[in-house]
Formats: sequence, structure tokens, C-alpha cells
Amino acid sequence: MQAVKRKSAGKAVSTDSAEHPASEKGKEIKRHIPYYVMLLPAIVVVFLFNYLPIYGVLIAFQDFMPGDKILSSTANWIGLQNFTRFFNSVNFWPLMRNTFLLCIYGFIIGFPLPIIIALSLNALKNRRAGKVIQTIFIAPHFISLVVLVGMLQFFFGYYGLVNNVAVSLGADRISYMLLNGAFRPMYILSSNWQDFGWSAVIYIAALSNVDPVQHEAAIIDGASRFQRVIHVDIPAILPMISVMLIMSIGGLMGVGYEKALLMQNDGNLAVSEIISTYVYKQGLTGVPDQGYATAIGLFNSIINVILLVIANTASKKFSENSLW
Amino acid sequence: MKTLTRRDFLKMAAVSGTGLAAMGLVGCSSSGSNSQSGSDESNVDTLVSEYGFQWEDTSAPILNDAGAEAISFNIYSSKNAAALDYNDMKIMQELFESTNVTVNWENVSETVNSEQKNLIFSNSSDRPDAIYHAGMTQGELIKYAQRGVIVAISDYLEYMPNFSQILEERPDIYNQIVNEEDGKIYALPRIEEMGLLQNPNILFINKNWVQQVIDAGAVEGITSTDLVDGLTLTCDQMEDILIYFRDHDMNGNGDATDERPLSFVYNNWQGNQCDLYGMFGLNDNLEHRVVIDDEVVYTTMDDRFMEATNYLANWVSEGLIDKVSFEQSQDNFLANGKGLETYGAFYWWESATVVDNPDNYIVCCPLIGPDGEQTVCVSNNPEVSTGELVFFSDCENVEVLLSYFDRYYDPYISAQINYGAVGVVYEEELDENGKLVQKELPDGVTSDELRLQNAPLGIIYLSDYAWENVVNMEERAQLRQERLAAYVTPYVDEGVQPCPNLPFTMDELNTLSNYETDLEDYVKTNLISWLMNGGVTESAWETFQTELTSKCHLDEIQEVYQSGYDRYLSET
Repeated sequence: MQAVKRKSAGKAVSTDSAEHPASEKGKEIKRHIPYYVMLLPAIVVVFLFNYLPIYGVLIAFQDFMPGDKILSSTANWIGLQNFTRFFNSVNFWPLMRNTFLLCIYGFIIGFPLPIIIALSLNALKNRRAGKVIQTIFIAPHFISLVVLVGMLQFFFGYYGLVNNVAVSLGADRISYMLLNGAFRPMYILSSNWQDFGWSAVIYIAALSNVDPVQHEAAIIDGASRFQRVIHVDIPAILPMISVMLIMSIGGLMGVGYEKALLMQNDGNLAVSEIISTYVYKQGLTGVPDQGYATAIGLFNSIINVILLVIANTASKKFSENSLW
Repeated sequence: MKTLTRRDFLKMAAVSGTGLAAMGLVGCSSSGSNSQSGSDESNVDTLVSEYGFQWEDTSAPILNDAGAEAISFNIYSSKNAAALDYNDMKIMQELFESTNVTVNWENVSETVNSEQKNLIFSNSSDRPDAIYHAGMTQGELIKYAQRGVIVAISDYLEYMPNFSQILEERPDIYNQIVNEEDGKIYALPRIEEMGLLQNPNILFINKNWVQQVIDAGAVEGITSTDLVDGLTLTCDQMEDILIYFRDHDMNGNGDATDERPLSFVYNNWQGNQCDLYGMFGLNDNLEHRVVIDDEVVYTTMDDRFMEATNYLANWVSEGLIDKVSFEQSQDNFLANGKGLETYGAFYWWESATVVDNPDNYIVCCPLIGPDGEQTVCVSNNPEVSTGELVFFSDCENVEVLLSYFDRYYDPYISAQINYGAVGVVYEEELDENGKLVQKELPDGVTSDELRLQNAPLGIIYLSDYAWENVVNMEERAQLRQERLAAYVTPYVDEGVQPCPNLPFTMDELNTLSNYETDLEDYVKTNLISWLMNGGVTESAWETFQTELTSKCHLDEIQEVYQSGYDRYLSET
């Protein structure tokens, strides 16, 4: 906690351990052996379940069927064929565009929202009301996607609530579910409605660690409620914000297929076909082609890694906060 | 100096966790040699001498009692949520008694089936002997066959008297299931020929409502005596009727806006919009691909398709076609038909499932178009499912298992597999024509429920012979068949055929998997936007025509289907 506090106080003290000589470093490690032991299971789990399976990406370079041995003389290596097939597909640019726009809009709206909510909840005088509101905000997180999309249909369908209200006000019915332009707003706003409360939890936790002494000092200095949010609360959670920012940029293109597929119909296909739904269709339906689907997935992951590195480097350059 | 802060922990988790979330499917597998195809003579001799294996008499047991003890098979199958465990189904127990072949069924729910199937294929050290309800595509069959994973059933035809007889009598079926790469058969098909699938729509119209239209004098050329099944309407008459439906309080509930003139479920496998294209002489279907005089044709390349689309787009923007038809699911469509009557006219398989009072709705003949054309949708829904059952190469004594499944093709067994066992669904006694007779339903159970619970479905051969001599179609199927014969099929031209399952080579399948999804997406996106937004302009249509070929490779796809179809014909 020390490090966070020191930074939040003035961002002045650098805590770069690289300056210390090697012998001192060895002592450091020795002193902290219990922590490293505690870390060990996590490392093992991550290695087993996140790193070991990576060799499976080799099937992106194969004509693969389930049951084939990935590393054997009988594997059908086809080089970069799967990748060139994807790059040359008519769908390549529309897919990239759809995925990117869906994610970037979702990010622009979805990233600041939980921070604002957390700050507001934290600034509430009535703690009890804060807890109640927080619970109400978190609740939608537990609605399953299928139910959520069903709700969207009830609200925005041709005979849905929104249209019924519009008609009673003298407007015409519009089939929002079939409208290209309505897909992204519906997708993004419903996702954010579902998750903003949940995502705010991490910031609320960080805010609860702010030393009350700082607030008291600020009050004595005559700071208003709003000024305290700006000058005490925000600097306190800034490191958290930048870590979350880097991580969300790293996962920017990694949007799942479930919701888009559920909302997809002929009418919005032009915008709702994203990389992951395309992978689903190519890999699991029709003539299944897992090599091709993996190649697209791998390509997507590489974009994510590149974005992550860029975000991290930028963050390192402009602030002291970075993942590595 | 630093202790582990939460932030450091987050960092670590983030770096290791989200760094590379690559989609990787790990195929853990140990080696397992593929047994040779072709029957192993000595093995069969042992089976015959020790376990009394016989296959020629299809009514006698396949194995003796020692065989029933010694030999057993594990078969993996998905099952409907309402179905009993296959081991507990009466038909399965009876099959054991009549054949002495022990089969242990391993059931999973239909929802997880596709993933489970891949896992089974991945796990080469511990596979079941066969997969029932396998739903194998042609591409899968070819690829697994190349790898020697599945048994070439055609090498064992001598052990399958019923199946070989089907293949002999029906070269068209043989041509649908043969693997074009090596001329063998790798999967057993399901064949249910009722002739119901080819034209999947029937137009129903509310006769009481039409009567009101006639009384109001809003439509010309029909009188109340015409309001019986087989009503023929021109598109102009239909338009007048639909306009009246739209503007008046037809169901008399005081609200003139809740009437839905014409409904369907857009791009559904049945009850879809394709019949409307028949007004312009097109035998459209969901793939827009149909065979006319042995030529594979795409309706989307026909200029009449543009005319029809514009005509229908006008109906949509006029509110004659309910716009919800384009977004609703089948369940919504069915739910909306219940209770207060709101459907004026609709396309569906049958009327009884859609509305509460099917008696109020009469069957219409196809609408007559502006130029006098009158035909319907010809769909490519196949009556033969090609990849229903596959056997793994490491299955021991596969001859016995094949003989066992051959019994399923016996018409009496097929009927029970498809509808439920004698004693549960059918009476023990046959009627005077030698046909199975339905038992009376137990209280509180519908025929669908009873069937789903007691019938495994899957491998069957129910064709003309079976319908004439063994089993009666269900009442609803009969009704539909009669309606189709009277009001729908006569309007399909002689030379128009659906596109059957075609024998493709691997190269051809690759072409299809490269281009077909893109083509479908392209057509779908354009078509719905034309229909919803008032139609297509000449120039947009021309761009569409060029892009079909230049962007979507329609010509190559068409060529593949044509060569597949030529092959199908030449081998018949």
C-alpha cells in the first residue's frame, strides 16, 4: 500500500528497485520468501492452463481435424494458407471494421462510466444509501446474455415497448432489431448497463483505501467536496485507472461472439458480423475448419498483443504507471 | 524495498493471464493404429463358430446367448431433452431381445453434442464404437475417411441385407451418400420420405375476414362461395384484401391497428417468404438455388427477382406484410397467433399449430402474379440425412454392429424407431391391412410428447412401401400431404427439382467453404435492406449482379453445384 500512497501524495518519489546493487536484491528475495511461496500455486496454474495450451495455435498452420496429432509426421502442414485465405476474403475489411468500431465505442463509453460511478458513490454522505445504490447497480451483471437479448427484443422489437410508446405519441413503428444503425448502440449500451456497477467495484475498493487524514487536511484547507474528488480521490486511484486502461486496451479486439450472435439477424448482419462470430461460423458450422478458425483467432490475439504493448509503452512514457 | 502491493499483483495477473488469449484447441491424443478396412475373414469365422453370428435371416437373432454375454458395444448419442435414456427405451430393449446384440447407450443432451463430438474424435485412445445422431457433414466424412478414423461401411455390405437392398433399389440414395473421393460409403443415412419437405409453405387466409371484405365490396371477382380450401387469388385481389385487413377492425376488439395482414417468418426453413416470389415465376428458396431442367440455377441472377423484390417491398412499406415477419423467431410467430385473432393471412407448415381456431383459416392456392405466373418455393431441405451414424475404425466386431443397425432399416423397426415402440405407442395387433395401429393416448399426454419420450429417431427407412404397407402417417402429416397434393405441388413445373445432397470432391468442398458463407451474407444483407426500404433501383441491381460474380464468386459456386449434380445424374 505504501507505494500507492506515496505516488498519490505527490508522484514525486520514484521506487525503482533496479538502482539497488545485486547483493541487496538477493537479500530482498530471501526476506520475502513467504510471498514467493504464496505466489507459486498461481504461477503453476497460469502456466498449466494459459501457457501450455498455446502450442495448440500450431493448428493455425495445419489442415486440422479433431483427432489429428498436432506434432507428428502425419500432420498436414499448409503454411500460411489459412491466413492468406482470411486476408483475401471479401469479409476481411468489414469484419475488422465492425469489430474495431464495436469495441472502441464500447470502450469510450464503458471505461469512464464505472470511475464516475465509483467517485460519486464514494462522495455520497449517506453510506447506507451508497451501499443500496451499489447493490442495485451490480444486480444487472447477473442477468444471462440470452435473457438480456430477450429483453432487448421486448423493448426494441417491432411490437416492443419503445415502439408502443412511440406510436401512442404519433410516430411510426421502427424495427430497431433490423436496423443497421441501432445494433451498436443497443449492444454497447446494454453491455454497459449490465456491467458498469460491477466494474466500479474495483475502484470503490481502491477509494476505500484513501487515507481519511488527506481528506481532513483538504477540508481544513477549505477544499469543497468537488475539489476533494479532483485532488484527493482521483490521484489516489490514478494508478489503478492506468492499469485498467492498459488492460482494457489490450483486450479491445477480444469481444466475445455470444451476444453478437444472439442479436444477429439478416437486417443487421452488415454491422453485427464481427471476427468472433465469423470464427464461430467457420469453425463450428458447415464444413468445420478449425485450422482456419484458429488462424483468425491467432491473428486477433496478435492485434491485441500489439495494442497492449503500445498502450503500455505510451503509459510508461506519459506517466509512471505501466504493467512492466 | 517494495512489498507486494495489490497493484503489483494485478500486473502479474494481467501479464500472465490476458497476454495471449489465443484460441488453441489442444488435441491430447495417444497413438492408436487404424484397423484395416475390409472384413477380417478369420475374425468373422470365429464369430460364426463361437457366437453363432448370422446375418442372412433378418428375423432371427444375430448372436447366440454366449455372444450376448461376450460381445458388447458402446454407442454415443445425443438425445432430445424429453426422451428417455436410450437404454430404458422399450424399442431398444426389444431389439436386444430379437438380436442378442448388447448395446450400451451413452446419452448426452443435444445442446452439447457438437462440442462433444469433436472431443470424441480428439480422444483417439478411448472412443466409443459408433456415434448415433452424428450429424456428420460431407466435408467431415471425407476428411475423417482420409485419416482412416471411420469405417468404410460399403466394405461390409454383405452383412447388411436390408441396407444393401435399399441401395440396389434406390441408386439416387446411393448417389447422395457415396464419398466422391474413393467411391465408398462412410455413414448410414436417415431416410424419411413423406414428400412434405420440398414445398415448405402453405398460404392460409382468414375466411371470416375475407367474408367481411366481400360484404364491404372492397374486392372484386370472388364471392362467399369461393371461401373454401383452394381459394385462388390474383395479386391484385390479395392486395385489396390485405389493405382492407390493414385498415379495419377485423377482429372486432375496437382496435383497428392490431390486425396483421400477411405474416411469415423471414428466411425460416418453412413458413418463409419464398412462395411470394412464385408470383413472378421464380421457384425461390433460402439458398436461392434450384435445379431447372438439370441446370443448377440461382434465382438471384434472374431479373424477375428484382421485379418481385420491388413488388414485395411495396407491400412491406404499405404495411400489408407485417414488418415483424422479418425479425421474429418461429416461437414469437406461433405465440402471437394464439388468443385474440390477429393474423389475416400467413405462410406456415400447417394452420393448427399457429392459431387457436384453424377452422377459420382456409388454404389458398399460390397467388397469381401480375403477369399471370403462379408457382411456389421449391426448397432444398433434403429427405435423406447423410451423416446420421458413423463407426470408428477401432470398433471390434464391427460386422455384428452393422448387422444390428441393418435391422433398423426394416420398415416395422423403422416405424418404431421413428414414432415409439409397439406396446407403448402402437397396439400389439396389426390391423386388417397388416399396418401398425396407434394406441389411444394416455391421459394428459400429447402425441408429440409420447413420441419424443419413446422414440430415439435416427436411423430409419420410411418410404412409399412403408407408408402403404406398414404404418400410417400421423394425422397431421396426412392432412398436410393432402393439402400439398391439391393446392401446392400441381403448381410446380415438371423440370423443377430441389438440389439434393450432392457428391462433392474435397476440392469442390473447399471452394464452397471458401466462398459460400460470403455469398450468403452478401445476398442476405442486400435482400433484406431492399425489402425493408422500398425496393432496389436498376443501378443497385446491376452492381449487385456484377458483385455476385466479381466479389462473391457465384460463378465458381454454381459450377461446383453443376458438376456435383451432373455426377449425381450420371451415376443414377
